Amino acid sequence: MQININNLSFAYGTKTIISNLSLTLNSGDYLVIRGKNGSGKSTFIKCLLGVNQVKTGMIFFDKIDINSFKTWTKFGYVSQSFDSFNYEFPITVGELLSISSLKKTSESERLRLLEKMGIFEIVNQNINSLSGGQLQRVFIVRAMLNNPEVLILDEPTASIDKQNKEFFYKTIEDLHQQGITIILITHNDDFESLNYTHLLSMYGDLTTSFEERGVELSEGVL
Amino acid sequence: MFLTFITDLFQQDFMLRALIAGVLLGVLAPLLGTFVVVRRLSFIADTLGHFSLVGISVSLFLTSLGVTIFFEKPLYLGIVFSIVGGLLIEFFRRSYNNFQEISMVIVISLGAALSAIFFSLSKKTGSLYNYLFGSILTVTDYYVVLILITAIIVALLFIFFGKQILAVSFDESSAKFLGINVNIFQFVFIIMLSVVVSVLLEAAGVLLISSMMVIPVAAGMKLGWSYRSTLIISIVFSELSVFFGLWAAYTINIPSGAAIVSINIFILLFITVIKKIVTKRRIAKLDKIQ
Repeated sequence: MQININNLSFAYGTKTIISNLSLTLNSGDYLVIRGKNGSGKSTFIKCLLGVNQVKTGMIFFDKIDINSFKTWTKFGYVSQSFDSFNYEFPITVGELLSISSLKKTSESERLRLLEKMGIFEIVNQNINSLSGGQLQRVFIVRAMLNNPEVLILDEPTASIDKQNKEFFYKTIEDLHQQGITIILITHNDDFESLNYTHLLSMYGDLTTSFEERGVELSEGVL
Repeated sequence: MFLTFITDLFQQDFMLRALIAGVLLGVLAPLLGTFVVVRRLSFIADTLGHFSLVGISVSLFLTSLGVTIFFEKPLYLGIVFSIVGGLLIEFFRRSYNNFQEISMVIVISLGAALSAIFFSLSKKTGSLYNYLFGSILTVTDYYVVLILITAIIVALLFIFFGKQILAVSFDESSAKFLGINVNIFQFVFIIMLSVVVSVLLEAAGVLLISSMMVIPVAAGMKLGWSYRSTLIISIVFSELSVFFGLWAAYTINIPSGAAIVSINIFILLFITVIKKIVTKRRIAKLDKIQ
């Protein structure tokens, strides 16, 4: 899927968060968005996912305007610290995946994905008994169930240990190799070792830079 | 005493009606209760009940004016107002996204105020007691059919859309990426809940309906290890409460709704205490091994 963003600006009330941001991503690209807390990374993702209504600028997915775009199943999304999910009510990993796979993904397909992520044995465990690393893998499996073209991960390594982090980056690398477009948000500096193709830096003062690895493409300045 | 109750249950018509209505209530209330609890909207049934009461009071008021053609059964307007209340909650919930409980307070207060006004205007405040506390022992054949139809409709909705409603309940913001039209399912859920609450009102009462939905689920959550097991345990607790509540109501002549809720709470307390003791013993055992 081609993602095209033209002169995007966004404000919460009178507080401008994003100013004149433009970028283009093609199928199979791997974008890292870096920036400190509060630099507008998550706000940008919310614009991209249609959660924040964009009033200034345009967003196109395969040349379709975001306001007319309907096929959101082309996106897989793993949110920051899974805060939108109510995991205090008992539900097993298997049940969660079953209610999340609406495109008739078979049970064996779901189990295969769990095995691939190294968490096959927790299929009957209650979500609230899992560790941060296990929970994250479950949510990645959930995001992958409907075979998305684009996978968006918001601060995925914030609450996991080093070993899980390495496993996580390797998994993302594999998915990228399969042709899935990856958008990864991070406030850490450990992204340099990743095989990303594009980098969007958000500096927190409304300035941004978007570059293809090694080649600077555009600069958005206040 | 207990044997007389059992034989009367099947020999007396009113007892049989109470049993059928009670069994259906015992399934419907915790079934919808699980969704309500997952979404952290435990007060919603209470709120919808109050708004349903507005419909009932308006209906009684219109009857007192001589308009009886459409409003002979106050329940119908109760259902309509409950749906209006549900839509109002949804409206306020969106404008106070991080303070969802505010929406309940607004709607419940409006419901209570309007009900008081119309009950007073209709000069039938005497009937208020029945609506507030419900009475399962006095339900009619007509009511039993109505609750049965409601149960069938709810069952069908769950067979076809249970997955989607559950996915939206657990994680509203991610449901869009699963291809679910979140707005439609919110709408379906709130209408279904509004209808069920107003239908159950006659048996359970405005003040007790919320407890019948939430308390068995609260107890089920203490023991459940999955969504399915929690739901089944909640329904078992709910049915036990209905059965023994009916027994208490029939034998010592106390209000049925109050008896059912009291037993519900007794089960919840019992489970909580037992669970605490078992957990303490387990920790002590582990400490010993170490």
